[in-house]
Amino acid sequence: MSVLNTLAFVVFPYLALTTFVVGHLYRYLTNPYDWNSKSSELLDKEGLKIGITIFHWGIIFALLGHGAGLLIPQRYWDALGINSQAHTLFATYSGFVVGAAALLGLALLIYRRISKDRILATTTLNDFVTLGLLFFVVATGFANVVSGLFDHFDILNTIAPWLRGILTLTPDASLMLKVPLRFKIHILAVLTLLGFSPFSRLVHIWSVPLTYLFRRLIVFRRREVSL
Amino acid sequence: MKIFHNPDLPAIDEYYEPWTYNYEKLISTPQKKHQPSTRPKSLITGQPIRLKWGPNWEDDLAGVSTTGSGDVNFKNLDYQIYLQFKKVFMFYLPRLCEHCLNPACVASCPSGALYKRDEDGIVLVDQERCRGWRYCVSGCPYKKVYFNWQTGRSEKCLFCYPRVEAGLTSLCAETCVGKIRYVGVILYDADKIATAASMKEEHKLYPAQTELFLDPNDPEVVAEAISQGVPQSYVEAAQASPVYKLAAEWGLAFPLHPEFRTLPMVWYVPPLSPLVQFLEESEEAVHNPEAMRIPLTYLANLLTAGDEEPIRLALRRLMALRSYMRSKRLEGEADSGVLEKAGMTEEMAEGMYRLLAIAKYGDRFVIPTVKKEKEFDLYQEQGAAGFGPHGA
Ligand code: HEM
Ligand code: SF4
Repeated sequence: MSVLNTLAFVVFPYLALTTFVVGHLYRYLTNPYDWNSKSSELLDKEGLKIGITIFHWGIIFALLGHGAGLLIPQRYWDALGINSQAHTLFATYSGFVVGAAALLGLALLIYRRISKDRILATTTLNDFVTLGLLFFVVATGFANVVSGLFDHFDILNTIAPWLRGILTLTPDASLMLKVPLRFKIHILAVLTLLGFSPFSRLVHIWSVPLTYLFRRLIVFRRREVSL
Repeated sequence: MKIFHNPDLPAIDEYYEPWTYNYEKLISTPQKKHQPSTRPKSLITGQPIRLKWGPNWEDDLAGVSTTGSGDVNFKNLDYQIYLQFKKVFMFYLPRLCEHCLNPACVASCPSGALYKRDEDGIVLVDQERCRGWRYCVSGCPYKKVYFNWQTGRSEKCLFCYPRVEAGLTSLCAETCVGKIRYVGVILYDADKIATAASMKEEHKLYPAQTELFLDPNDPEVVAEAISQGVPQSYVEAAQASPVYKLAAEWGLAFPLHPEFRTLPMVWYVPPLSPLVQFLEESEEAVHNPEAMRIPLTYLANLLTAGDEEPIRLALRRLMALRSYMRSKRLEGEADSGVLEKAGMTEEMAEGMYRLLAIAKYGDRFVIPTVKKEKEFDLYQEQGAAGFGPHGA
């Protein structure tokens, strides 16, 4: 059990994260032409509107929530006067809202991919895998929030420090031993998604146009002098 | 946050659904009593479709009943009148990317993928940086950026830049059978662009843009250009520029819809059209652009944001040129009086005649080659350039 546990929560995370980092670098550097969100709005605008909007808002706030909740140790929150009970309460309710938005959005997007002729004809296997994996991740995450309402599990002292351990290169798989299966499934799904994302349209996440806020409106380019 | 919400993006049905025909049926059908026929099928889904609209669908007035009433160029005109058969008029207007001085497509790109080339003003989409936002599509008032739904990127006219660099003109101009396209260099004052584009009154935009263009024969302008590093060959091309003559010297060419404020750089010479019958008898009418079949107001709405005066002058000049040449050739006696009335000199008329009627290749296109020898190590470049995703 412990071997399996180490494989799943030390080896696999590093494999997935390495693929994530190297994969993005490789794709960006070797084939920048391919780096794209593959918009399908031109082919079907109406079906996209609601789904894509609530999905994006949901998933972005879900990501921010994960960052704030799992990466920042509880003692900092305590210092701000937010004890672990309040933290969990807030996480549960906000997680419920954003999770529901993302899940519903995804369901609409998947339905659109299948039901609209034009979209179905231009959808690749990769698109389906992306949406399917995302759906699985969000569904398990949402299920965890809901089941947490009835059957509380202390994430802040188990999964959160394990995750920080992974990221600070001091992994401790034993923290994951007592974690219920439903969380383990969510975590493994997320890691799979991370490993897969460099090869999907999800790379568009890294192209948030932040520079637009600072650059001048008209971009000029001069021929580069190559020597 | 506005940049995450753009309700103006067009959907494909606002263009048309691309299609082909199942041609293979023509040869795969077994022998039958009737000819096999081909049916249109969608290039997106592969399913048979019914054609309702397509490229150039409204050409030659065919779709005017659908699109005509929305034509903004009928502003201040009674559109209904021009539906009467004897009043109907039409002319062609090729719409190109204007390679604007103040390009809205560039300004609207969140990824910074569109850019204007410093050396020749060509506006391009960097295909490796385009992320498929499509804001250039809704941003360009001339509707000249298109989203490629297969590659997920926007594409536009590139003014045949590899040809232009080599001193050749774009292919559309090169192959124009009417020989009506002119391409040349214009020196302009980039510091004044913002002022010119923000003129309050719309009809001032056209004159303001003309003022940006610097006279390439003015020694001061030449000296300044050279000191800013403009190569001698560019200055010489600017001096021989057919477009400078048409747009600035003779006032014959006008920007398309200057009220869009992007300072477009493809300019149009308004067309002469037949004089309407009932006026033709009088001597006056021969020089009266008001009596033309295409209403002056329409042309003014198209080219000068509604200001009829410059258009009237341009048409009068074109008419005067005709009379003058006719008098010279047929009557054997040049009538310079008609020229004076249109504010022209004989020298100007000869220049116009040469450029517009003789229209020699070398006069229509004056394009300097790019001065690469100053910027590259040519020896090293030799054999190091090529095609392919990572070459060149
Ligand atoms: C950070 C800012 C983000 C921006 C600006 C952004 C922008 C976009 C855009 C422009 C599209 C194309 C929509 C269309 O078809 O026209 C898209 C699609 C998509 N995005 Fe994002 N996105 C962001 C974050 C994310 C995140 C964090 C995820 C998931 C983890 C995500 C997942 C997706 C998916 C799955 C699609 C495809 C939906 C479909 O067509 O079925 N995005 N995004
Ligand atoms: S015409 Fe449109 S695409 Fe061309 S430069 Fe102007 S704004 Fe850009």
